[in-house]
Amino acid sequence: LVEAARQRDFASVILEVKPEAERLIAQYPHSRSALLPILHAFQNVEGWVSPEAMATTAEWLDLPLSVVESTASFYSLFFRRPVGKYVLQPCRNLSCLINGAGEIMDYFREKLGIGHLETSADGLFSYEEVECLAACDRAPCMQVNLEFVYDLSKEKIDAMLTAMRGGTSEVAPLPQSAAPAKSWHVGQDTTKKSPGAQGVSDPNDPGGMGDPSGVRMIERLNRDPAPLDARPSRERLIRDGAARLAAQEPEHGK
Amino acid sequence: MPVVKVLTEGIGELNLRDIDVYRSRGGYEQWKRAVTSLQPAEIVDLTLKSGLRGRGGAGFPTGRKWQFLPDNGHPRYMVCNCDEAEPGTFKDHMLLEETPHQILEGMLIGSYAIGSKHAFIYIRGEFKRGYAIFVEALAQARAAGLVGDNILGTGTSIEVTVHRGAGAYICGEETALLNSVEGRRGEPRLKPPFPAVKGLYGEPTVVNNVETLATLPYILKNGAEWFASVGPQRSPGYKVVSVSGHVRKPGNYEIPLGTPIRELLEIAGGPREGRKIVAVQPGGGSSACLFEEHLDLGYDFDTMAANGTMLGSGAVVFFDDSTDFVRAAHALVRFYAHESCGQCTPCREGGHWLEITLERILEGGGLDSDIDMLLSVSHQMTGLNLCPLGDSIEPFLASVVKRFESQFRAYVRKPAVSVAV
Repeated sequence: LVEAARQRDFASVILEVKPEAERLIAQYPHSRSALLPILHAFQNVEGWVSPEAMATTAEWLDLPLSVVESTASFYSLFFRRPVGKYVLQPCRNLSCLINGAGEIMDYFREKLGIGHLETSADGLFSYEEVECLAACDRAPCMQVNLEFVYDLSKEKIDAMLTAMRGGTSEVAPLPQSAAPAKSWHVGQDTTKKSPGAQGVSDPNDPGGMGDPSGVRMIERLNRDPAPLDARPSRERLIRDGAARLAAQEPEHGK
Repeated sequence: MPVVKVLTEGIGELNLRDIDVYRSRGGYEQWKRAVTSLQPAEIVDLTLKSGLRGRGGAGFPTGRKWQFLPDNGHPRYMVCNCDEAEPGTFKDHMLLEETPHQILEGMLIGSYAIGSKHAFIYIRGEFKRGYAIFVEALAQARAAGLVGDNILGTGTSIEVTVHRGAGAYICGEETALLNSVEGRRGEPRLKPPFPAVKGLYGEPTVVNNVETLATLPYILKNGAEWFASVGPQRSPGYKVVSVSGHVRKPGNYEIPLGTPIRELLEIAGGPREGRKIVAVQPGGGSSACLFEEHLDLGYDFDTMAANGTMLGSGAVVFFDDSTDFVRAAHALVRFYAHESCGQCTPCREGGHWLEITLERILEGGGLDSDIDMLLSVSHQMTGLNLCPLGDSIEPFLASVVKRFESQFRAYVRKPAVSVAV
């Protein structure tokens, strides 16, 4: 029954997106160029890029579904799982970090009770710590549903969350065609890209690669630095001690 | 103090998003002049003589880039790169939201100069507001007959398409950007062939930065000499510099190239009360740090390169003596690990391992040998990748590890503490 209702709903989504898609395809010399714009159009209507949206895009552009999925999965702004009505994205990059973004992120986690790439139980908030948003002069900054919020403070966050909970926020909520789960991260984990890096849960245990050869490699590197020493390079410079470095750069360190 | 107003004139005072306001200040006059009375070759010549170098990061002479296009009768494409995402850079964000017509006028002039009939602008996915602003500006210009078929009755036709990205730093790399416009994953291509020979849809293509193109109307208006006479001979002109970090008045400042970094620091309000600047990253996240003793260097492409760093996109981040450089290094390494497209093993694996190594150092579980490992891994990632992303970790990381080694050593020897990562 739920499935049938979803199909009915999606038919209306198609009605809404189709004219836009045709306009987008006409803008380009090759129809495939409209792939990203069409996925944006679906996300604007549904709040996320659903499997049905990807299948429909594949059909319209005459592409294999796998091509559409692999392209969509490359871009972090396409949500391939339902997300909250407000996607909160504080910046964690350098200029924000040295201006207090660490405290801002801690405060968000505390107030929302969720972590990176998670959605609150009421389906209202999704949270992601993102990279430089090109607003470093107003650090710490963030985006809410891609609208900028500058000069963040705890007071500003309190007011913002209250407004969103009370339905008085200036930022329009995202449409929500399906209920979000706690995590909105799909499949490929960008922090653990290769099979070799899978399962590294403890940063203090670099050998946890699911393969004993990795453990042995690290042990060998720590025990026997010869392969590195064989190269007369900066590694050697450091290994020979801070004194030598200090001699070369008299004012180093603090 | 040498703050100038060329590209930034009127920003914050006027609504330059409105075509009437823009035109009342001489906007689109240079495009009109170009399309009605100048030959494309004259514009290329003017750009060459002005010495304009690309404002996106690589600093390649714009006129020369245009000259690489082969004369083979194929369609040509002009692509404006507005995928600004280099850590610390926020100039294109401002130009896009404040003066979209200036960018469009530059794109039209550039397209006309290289003989392109179809120009694209690639706008970063996060710039939702900027995208809407540019789409509106384009509609206004189209209604005024400045874009599209038979522009101003001259028989010249230039179509402009606005393409929005979807969150991938790597799409700022020109071949990744072209793949993204083609509807593919934003993975950089093997070069050669360079985009000038085989770019968008396999045809000759020029990719220019927003600021580079926005400068063209002024070079046309004031002449090549006007631009070439400012700043150092091989690195001339004005540049919008994004200043952030530990300064009192962070922001975008337009300065003549060659302005000493110390003066830039003063323009941005100087260091915070009771603090002293100990380091400066002069060209975005991918550049090596300079230190106190370098503050009197002139800020231009060649001086930066001669001192082992780069001008890059013109993003200057100042660090004062309160900075924890281990956390700073971690933030940037995590960024490059996150943004690696994953095509090349050194970049994909190296970035990830550097990130978890820095995490364990920050959590107090680091080994003395980790500091060597940071240097050796980041060095060995360099020069082995299809694009410069994998090479971008080493400059900052190595420069701060060497300079502030004691901070890294202190973490290694400290008992474990919890750090939010």
